[in-house]
Amino acid sequence: MARKDEETSGEAFSQPGEGQVFLGTAGEAARLSPEQVAQVYRVGDPALSELPLEPLLEELLERIRAMLRVETTAILLIDDEGRELVARAGKGLEEEVERGVRIPIGRGFAGRIAAERRPIFIADVQHADVLNPILREKGIRSLLGVPLIAEGDLAGVLHVGTLTPREFTNEDAALLQLAAARAAPAITRARLFDALEREHRGAVALQRSLLPDRLPEVVGVSLAARYLPARDEVGGDWYDLIELQHGRVGIAIGDAAGHGVRAAALMGQLRTALRAYAVDGHEPSEVLARLDRLLRAIRVRGMATVAYGVLDPETGVLRLASAGHPPPVLVPASGKPRLLEAPSAPPLGTLAFSRYVDREIRLAGGEGVLLYTDGLIEVRGESLSEGLNRLLGTIRPGSSPETICQDVMRNLIPEGGAADDVAVVMCQSTPIPEKLDLRLPADPAVLAAIRQTLRRWLREVGADDDEVGAITLACGEACANAIEHAYPPVDSSFELEAFAGKGVVELTVRDMGRWREPRGENRGRGLTIIEAIMDELEVKPTKEGTEVLMRRRLGAGA
Amino acid sequence: VKLVDLRFEERGRVVLASLDGEVDMSNAEALRKALESNMPNDALGLVLDCTAVRYLDSAGIHLLFKLREQLRNRGQELRLVVPGNAPIADVLALADIPAAVGVADTVEAALDGMEPAADGESAPG
Repeated sequence: MARKDEETSGEAFSQPGEGQVFLGTAGEAARLSPEQVAQVYRVGDPALSELPLEPLLEELLERIRAMLRVETTAILLIDDEGRELVARAGKGLEEEVERGVRIPIGRGFAGRIAAERRPIFIADVQHADVLNPILREKGIRSLLGVPLIAEGDLAGVLHVGTLTPREFTNEDAALLQLAAARAAPAITRARLFDALEREHRGAVALQRSLLPDRLPEVVGVSLAARYLPARDEVGGDWYDLIELQHGRVGIAIGDAAGHGVRAAALMGQLRTALRAYAVDGHEPSEVLARLDRLLRAIRVRGMATVAYGVLDPETGVLRLASAGHPPPVLVPASGKPRLLEAPSAPPLGTLAFSRYVDREIRLAGGEGVLLYTDGLIEVRGESLSEGLNRLLGTIRPGSSPETICQDVMRNLIPEGGAADDVAVVMCQSTPIPEKLDLRLPADPAVLAAIRQTLRRWLREVGADDDEVGAITLACGEACANAIEHAYPPVDSSFELEAFAGKGVVELTVRDMGRWREPRGENRGRGLTIIEAIMDELEVKPTKEGTEVLMRRRLGAGA
Repeated sequence: VKLVDLRFEERGRVVLASLDGEVDMSNAEALRKALESNMPNDALGLVLDCTAVRYLDSAGIHLLFKLREQLRNRGQELRLVVPGNAPIADVLALADIPAAVGVADTVEAALDGMEPAADGESAPG
């Protein structure tokens, strides 16, 4: 409150005196002139409540400055920890905001107002205990400040000042207090909104930055994925597709418990860690066990469900482990999709000793597995099995992963967005044709992809491990030869055909260049290798180039 | 993902390099350069662990011969680790690698005898 303070030394703050405590009540307001009442109501203008925080504060200060005819006005808001006041807006005191002035609660002019929740008047700033040097630098002589209180909670401090000495009256203090009482709820609301808005923007940006910006291209597998943030909040869902050594691909999905930045940040840590463990080549169960240990090490209270699988496109074998995650869906090439009950294990971060188990399934060509987070199937007031049945009913077997992801999102996400965030990822073992007929660029980089495809094809036609390895090597040598022969401006591509009949594998590599006699020991070695592996080898010139035909009977032993 | 992963370790005065993946004409030359440039002058030799190599073609064979030559010119020995059941054992045999380069089943067996028996002061062979 504002007692006129004549002291020039010692306690420079006013103390509340008898009958001098101003309360923003109707009774007090009734002592004000109609003009003053109108001014106070301008501060509580409902239109102001539409404004975001910064413009709201600016507008309030302008109106208060006019109302009390003062040179400076400022608003300091309490920080998130409730320990300091932070200058957020100022008229005639812009430096206070620019320099980010912070005043501890309980100290100095504003700090005392906040701690004691009462108005304070300082008649002579030069001789008072004022912490903030800017107030003196600006030549302020008199100050009047009141607390901003909304619903019983301190929101900050509002103060006004003059450059010439001024005796603020009880009416001035009453006016300012009334203005503060009317402005505080709007400030609190705008501030909350501002914080939420900032958190949301930050969380969305974080979440986006953590999701893969493109899916890997892996021979023998089709991949698709979707992520949809919740209607009004960011969550901790993620998916990941990881290229692994030996042509394998890691498929991950997870849901870090909670919402907002904390969940998104936890998600980011888990996603990165999962990637690191996955790239090191660990089994899915081991990746989950490590994540569980990590989660314990970095955070006491954090929980997540995760499913992680490694698919070997060559064999179609998918090894999958789950930490409390909703069951994956096995999508057959035809027939009904069904749930894959993985061995049950608790979510990460829930039990002191958890054991994760790998489940192995073999995906035939055209078969796939869909992983998703619970946001896809959970609808308030509905049992989980209803959601799961709806999911199973939405999937059309035989479709591509891209189509299935699209269908699932379109049919299961309500209009206007989901209440929870949703991640979906699907991998499908690409159907392999009976006969391979490939036209390939003459670039050494395609050799790995050729091997990957051929190994898969050889397994489909019944080759055993040794035969897959040997025939792949022979084919690799022939293809390397074709690539070496492709000189621009000749069409720099070549063809590979693979065909199996009556237990015999027949491979043809056709290039558009002239066959050259092997030069040096290197290429001669390639031919030696082919001859040693294959039962038959024919090198024929064609109109365009050279054709290398190789045959080998399967099951004959090396 | 790289087709092949290469990791280095020091085992006394021998460099142990471990390969994991596949070697073909797309990466053989880069691999050879990486191996050569990671050989300190005072190293006695290189043990190349090929246990986790699942594909190696004539470009890889070429790499091994060339690497052996380069190291020999520097007075350094090349040894390979290739277990008998390794996927690339057959192709190495076809190319007569075991006749040109020492091949062992395990890293320890390959290292054995490469370091001088006496510690410390003995000069490189």
